[in-house]
Amino acid sequence: MPRIELINITKRWGDFFGVKNLNMVIEDRDFVSLLGPSGCGKTTTLRMIAGLETPTEGIIKIGDKVVFDSEKGVNLSPDKRDVGFIFQNYALWPHMTVYENIAFGLESMKWDKKEIDKRVKEMLALMKIEEFEKRYPSEISGGQQQRVAIARTLAIKPQVLLMDEPLSNLDAKLRLEMRTELKRLHADTDSTFVYVTHDQLEAMTLSTKICLMKEGTIQQYAPPLKVYNEPNNLYVADFVGNPSMNFVNGRIEKSGDKYEVSLLGYKAEFVPNEEVQGIDGDVTVGFRPEFMKIAEDGKISATVYSTLPSGLETTIKLKIGEEIISSVVFGASDYVTDEELRCNIAGSNVCVFDKDGQKVAMGQLIIR
Amino acid sequence: MKAINLEKIKNRIKTYFSNPANCMLVFFFCVFLGLSIYPITAMIKEMFVVHAGIEKTLITAKKGSFTLYHVQKLFIPSEWSVTSFYIPFKNSFLLGLFGAILAIIFGGVTAWLMTRSNLVHKKIIGTLFMFPYLMPAWTLAQFWIYLFQNSNVMSGNKGIMQSLFGICMPQWFVYGLFPCVIVNSLHFAPFAYILIGGILQNMDATLEESAQILKANRLRIVRKVTLPIVMPALLSTFLLVFSSGFASYAVPVFLGGAVRFYTLASKMKAMINAGYMGQAYIIAAVMILCGIIILMINQKYTNKRRSFTTVTGKSGQVSLVNLKKANRPISIAMIILTVCFSVVPLIVFALQTIQRVPGDYSVSNWTLDFWIGKDLDAYKMGMVGGILVGQDFLMALLRLVLLSLACSAFAGTAGLFIGYSVVRNRRTRLSKMVEAMSFFPYLIPTIAFAAIYLALASTKTFSFLYNSFALLVLVGGVKYLPFASRGCINSMLQVSSEIEEAAILMNVPWYKRIFRILVPIQKTSIFSGYLLPIVSAMREVDLFALIVANSRYMLTTMLLAFNQTGYDQYASAITLLIIVIVLVINQVSSKLTGASISQSVGSYNKQ
Repeated sequence: MPRIELINITKRWGDFFGVKNLNMVIEDRDFVSLLGPSGCGKTTTLRMIAGLETPTEGIIKIGDKVVFDSEKGVNLSPDKRDVGFIFQNYALWPHMTVYENIAFGLESMKWDKKEIDKRVKEMLALMKIEEFEKRYPSEISGGQQQRVAIARTLAIKPQVLLMDEPLSNLDAKLRLEMRTELKRLHADTDSTFVYVTHDQLEAMTLSTKICLMKEGTIQQYAPPLKVYNEPNNLYVADFVGNPSMNFVNGRIEKSGDKYEVSLLGYKAEFVPNEEVQGIDGDVTVGFRPEFMKIAEDGKISATVYSTLPSGLETTIKLKIGEEIISSVVFGASDYVTDEELRCNIAGSNVCVFDKDGQKVAMGQLIIR
Repeated sequence: MKAINLEKIKNRIKTYFSNPANCMLVFFFCVFLGLSIYPITAMIKEMFVVHAGIEKTLITAKKGSFTLYHVQKLFIPSEWSVTSFYIPFKNSFLLGLFGAILAIIFGGVTAWLMTRSNLVHKKIIGTLFMFPYLMPAWTLAQFWIYLFQNSNVMSGNKGIMQSLFGICMPQWFVYGLFPCVIVNSLHFAPFAYILIGGILQNMDATLEESAQILKANRLRIVRKVTLPIVMPALLSTFLLVFSSGFASYAVPVFLGGAVRFYTLASKMKAMINAGYMGQAYIIAAVMILCGIIILMINQKYTNKRRSFTTVTGKSGQVSLVNLKKANRPISIAMIILTVCFSVVPLIVFALQTIQRVPGDYSVSNWTLDFWIGKDLDAYKMGMVGGILVGQDFLMALLRLVLLSLACSAFAGTAGLFIGYSVVRNRRTRLSKMVEAMSFFPYLIPTIAFAAIYLALASTKTFSFLYNSFALLVLVGGVKYLPFASRGCINSMLQVSSEIEEAAILMNVPWYKRIFRILVPIQKTSIFSGYLLPIVSAMREVDLFALIVANSRYMLTTMLLAFNQTGYDQYASAITLLIIVIVLVINQVSSKLTGASISQSVGSYNKQ
C-alpha cells in the first residue's frame, strides 16, 4: 500500500515560488491535511502529487514507484499514478447523468459492462444516492453533487485519494455531516487521504496529521493535537485554534536558576517543562484561552470587555491593563460588561516565542 | 367600487413608470415593434403588388394592384424559377454549409491550439489570425482573383500565380462556389476562433483534468468530455456562421459574377436592378424566414436540460498539452498560413495600386498615378486623377467615417440603455421580449435587411428617408444593435444591483447613476459596444450597396463601382485604405481602452 514521499519539491513561476523545497512523507493510510491560507501552495502541492502540475525540481514517489524526478526526466501522467482526485467544484460533467459520471472511469479502464454496472450500483449505495442515478448534475443539490464526485473517484479504487477543499462549497450543516462521512470513509476504504483545506477546524477534526504551510514552506508537520498544543512557532500557534491563542509581550530575565517574567503588568515565574537555554530579554508569551481561568482567588484582576456565549461554551473577552485577553469557559455563563473579575493563567502549556516568532520554551507561569 | 379599481390601476401605472428602467423598456419595445413589424408588413405588401417598369408591362395590370404573379413566377418550377430561385437557393445553402464547416474546423483547431496547448508564438498567430475578420470579406475575394486569375479563364487578366510562377488554375478554382466557400470560411474562421476560444477558456479545466485522473486518454477526453460540453456553443457558432454565409452578397458578386454564380442575395440585388421588385422582396422574405428558423433551432438546442452550466468554483490553472516535437512545425505552419491571408493581401493590394497595366508585376510598370497623378485619360472614370487628388474621394471617405461614427453612436447608446433596462427588469416578460427583439436584426440577412428599409423608404409616410443619410444611419444603427446590446446586457449583468441601489437611496437621479456609476465601472465593455459598429460600418458593402443610389456617395460603394468597371488600381487603393483604417482603429482602441474587436465578438457568446 502506498506511502507518498516528496523530496525537495520546488514549484516556481518566474521569480515566484509556489512551493519551496518541500520535504514530506505521507505514510500509508494516513489522513494528511495540507492547511494554510490561500496562496500558501497547498493546492499546488496536491496537484503536483496528482500530476496535474509539474514541479520545477524534486522527486515524488508514490509507493515504490517514482512518479516524478526532475533530474531523470521522469514524469508520469495523472492517469498512470493511480490516484483519485476530488476537485473543489467537483468537476462533474454536466452532459452526463450521475450514472454516466460514475461509470466513466471504469469505461476508461475497459471494464466489462456488467462489472461496471455492479460497481456503479455499489458506489451509489455507498454514497446513498441511488435515486439520482438518472439525473444530471445541474438537477441535484450541492451535497449530492459532492457525493457523486466522491463516488466517481472511489469507483476506480484509487490507492490514494487527493481532495482539494471538497467541503468549501457546502453550507455549514452539510459540511459537518460530510466531515463525519469522510472520516468514516477513510476508515472503511483503507486508502491514503491527502486533504487540502484552509479551515483549521476541519484539519483538526479529520486528519491524522496536519501539514501547516505558509508561502510555500512547511511550518509544522505533526498530528493535530501536537500542532495545537505544541506549535512550532507563532504563525502555527495563531493559525490553529478558535478563539485563537492569546499573545502578550513580555520580558524574561534569568536570575539564578529561575526565570522571572514580567507581563500584563505582573511579575511571574516561568517554569519550563524541559531544560532550555538562552531565553532572555523581550519575548512573546502565548497561552490558549482555555488556560485563562476565571477564579475568585486569581492573581490577575481584569474587567469584562464583552461576553460571547454560544451555549456549549462561553468566550469572555477580558481587559487586563490595555490588553484584551480571551478566556473560554465550558457551559453557558453570562457576565455583566465592565464587571470586575479575578483570573489566573493555568496549565503547563504556556509558550514562549522569541523575537523571530520561533518557540523557545514551554512551561508553567506562576503569577506572583 | 369601479372608481377604486380605476384609482388602483392608475397608481400602478404611475408606480411602474416612475422607474426609468421601466420607461426605457416600454420605449424600446415600441421602437422595435415599429422598426421590425412596420417594415416587414411593408415588405410583405410589396410581394403582392404590381410595380412600375417591367412588371407593369409583363402583368398588364395597374401599378399597385394586387397580384400573385411574383409568387407563381418564382416558385412554380420552370426554367425561370430554377435559375432565379432554386439554384441560387442551393448555392446559398451550400456556401453557408461548407463555409461554416471549414470555418469551424479552422477556427476551432486554432482555438484549441491557442488555449489548450503550449504552442509557441501564440501572440503573433493570435494577432494575424484576426486580420481576415477585420478585413471586409470581399477584400479576400478580390485577393483571390488577383492571385489566381489567368489567361485561360474568363476575363483573361494575368494573376500573380501566372505572372510569377506560370501556374494556371482551372475555372472552378478561380470562380464560383469553391472560392466563395474558401473565402467565406477564411473570413469567418476568426469569428469561430473567438467564440470557441472563449468557450474553451471559460470551460472549467478541471472537467478535463478529472477525466484524465479517471484514466481516460487524450482522444477519449476530447470525444467524451470536451466536445459534448462545447457542443451547444459550437452549434450556435455554426449557425451564426452559416447564416452569414447563407446571406453573403459581396463575396459571390466578386467571385461568382463572371461565371453567373448567384446566391439568393446576389440574385435579389440583380432582380432589383432589373426591376423585378416583387420577386426580389419574396427572396428577401425567404432569407428572413431561414434566419428565423436558424434562430429557433439554436434556441431549442441550447435550452436542453444538460446544457452547459458552469458549476461554481474557480477554473483552476490550466495544464497545457505539450505538443513536443510537433510544436515548432505547427507553429511555423500556422504563421505561414495566417501571413498568407493577412499580410500578403495587403502587399498585393499595395502592388495593384501602382501598376499602370493591371496584372503586369514588373517594376517598369510601376506608377504612383493612381494615388497622386493628374489627368489619367484612360483610367479616369470621371475622376480628376489619382484618388488623393480632387474632392470626390475625400468626400466619400469623410461620409463613410461620419456614417460609421453615427451608426456607432446610435447602436452603442441604444445598446447601453437596452442593456440597462433589460437587466434591471430581468425575468419579466417584456424584458425578455426586448432582448430577443434587439437580437432580431442579426438574423435578417444584411441585404434583405437593406431591402426592408428600402421598402419602408418607398412608402409615402417615410418618403423623406429615401436616399438620405438618415436612412443609412438608421439601417446601420439597427443592424449593428445586436452586438452592442448583447455586450451591454452582459456588462450590466456583471454589476450587482446593490451598487446602483446604494445610489438610489442617496437620491441620485437615474442618468447620473448610469453615467457616473455604471458606465465608469464597465467602460471597456461598453466601449466595445461602440467599437464594433464603427468597424462593421467601415467595411460594410452588402447593407449600403442597395440603399445608396449614387455610387460616388460613399467609399465602399465607390469601390464596388470601380471594381465592376474594372478599375482595379482604384479599387485596390480604396480597399487598402479601408483595411488600414480598420486595423488602426482596432489597435488604437485596444491600446487606449483595452476594448478590441475580439472582445466585442467574444461578449456575444456569454449569455
